[in-house]
Amino acid sequence: MRIDEEQCIACELCVPYCPMGAIRMDNVAVIDQDECVDCGVCLRTGVCPVDCIIFEPAPWPRSLRAVFSDPTTEHKETGIAGRGTEEMKTNEVTGRFKRGWVGMGLEFGRPGTGTRFRDVDKASQALAKLGVQFEPKNPVTFLMEDVKTGKIKEEVLDEKVLSAIIECIFPIEKLEDILTAVKEVSKEVDTVFSVECINRAEPDGSFPLEKVLADLGIPHYINGKQNVGLGRPLAGGGN
Amino acid sequence: MTHTLHRRGTAESLSEDYPMLCLTAMGINDDGHIPKLQEFLRIALRHDPKNMGSITKGSMFHYKPEEVIAAARGIVHAVFDNPQAVTEVLKELKEADLGMSVVVSGIFEPVEECCKKAGLKRHTVNFSLGIWGKTEKLPPDDILEVTTMCGHGLVSANLVNSVVEEIKSGARTPEDAAKELTPHCACGIFNPARAAKLLAAMAKT
Repeated sequence: MRIDEEQCIACELCVPYCPMGAIRMDNVAVIDQDECVDCGVCLRTGVCPVDCIIFEPAPWPRSLRAVFSDPTTEHKETGIAGRGTEEMKTNEVTGRFKRGWVGMGLEFGRPGTGTRFRDVDKASQALAKLGVQFEPKNPVTFLMEDVKTGKIKEEVLDEKVLSAIIECIFPIEKLEDILTAVKEVSKEVDTVFSVECINRAEPDGSFPLEKVLADLGIPHYINGKQNVGLGRPLAGGGN
Repeated sequence: MTHTLHRRGTAESLSEDYPMLCLTAMGINDDGHIPKLQEFLRIALRHDPKNMGSITKGSMFHYKPEEVIAAARGIVHAVFDNPQAVTEVLKELKEADLGMSVVVSGIFEPVEECCKKAGLKRHTVNFSLGIWGKTEKLPPDDILEVTTMCGHGLVSANLVNSVVEEIKSGARTPEDAAKELTPHCACGIFNPARAAKLLAAMAKT
């Protein structure tokens, strides 16, 4: 995003709308190009009385900023609007998360701080060493040089986005080691990330992950996302 | 795309916040899915949603509900402020047998109770383990309770501060301030009823 400085009337109306706080006043409004994630909020809000906020599609690798930060933009590779995948939302149809397994998401830059891929890379490499399976349709996975190492392509590491999600699965027995590694990563990054774990219900309606987390002394929020099983499974393909 | 998972707040506040999603599994059951998503939104609309929308169009704070329904594609959303409405919507969805996936976000116990009353069992759950890393960069908790209602992070903390100051000065009511924030959430999962209460409380401090 940028502001046409010739047109700007310095009304300051746009300043509070930026989720990254990247708009400042310097006689006229100016957008810090290194901090701007091209989310488009300032433009979509229509707050500028003289329409001087401009978005021009950027070349690679800056083009990643808009596709990871503006949820109305579709990732060409995945065909999914937003930052991640359907994950557990369609699990009764896809059977993606099976009993005995855990799905994990690390949402870098969320809430509200944004992230450089350099920080995402620290976590993806740490997870790869523990043998997780990265979600192949996830946009971050597409940015890895090699899913066996989790190394993200060098040329994108300094790009900043509103958020980027690492998605992976692993057997529930690995949870302790993986959370220990994630905790180490959390000390090394210059941003925040939200952590989530997905679990398929047992036939009695219980979720084994809850007990494992309790045994490890790791709390979870009182609220969460719950697939109520209304999707129609594939014949023989659901779980 | 875990945009409804990490909503923060007290049990009292979250007890008035239930986003629901209806979506197709891409490449599996997306043939002819649009009328089914539209039916989900029609069912939701009968139970006084506080918001509804889709990423392909926007929320009912940008468009009329019928415009949101007409543009349904891929994934659609509705937000309720009480478990009774969630239960009634789930009952109607079970009866409608759309075959599309439905996800309810909210406090675990009441959502499980809603499912039981509707004759449903939870299939898979996503647990939030909270915020890790350099948490000193975060705004205060009361701001986060508002901003995390847009999981894509499009509601700015600075804008929340700005409207709180306007409430304090008498320039806006909390309800009007919540309406200012709501359209920035492109999916329609921001809960303006809950936001108004949170903003009013912030303006008193």
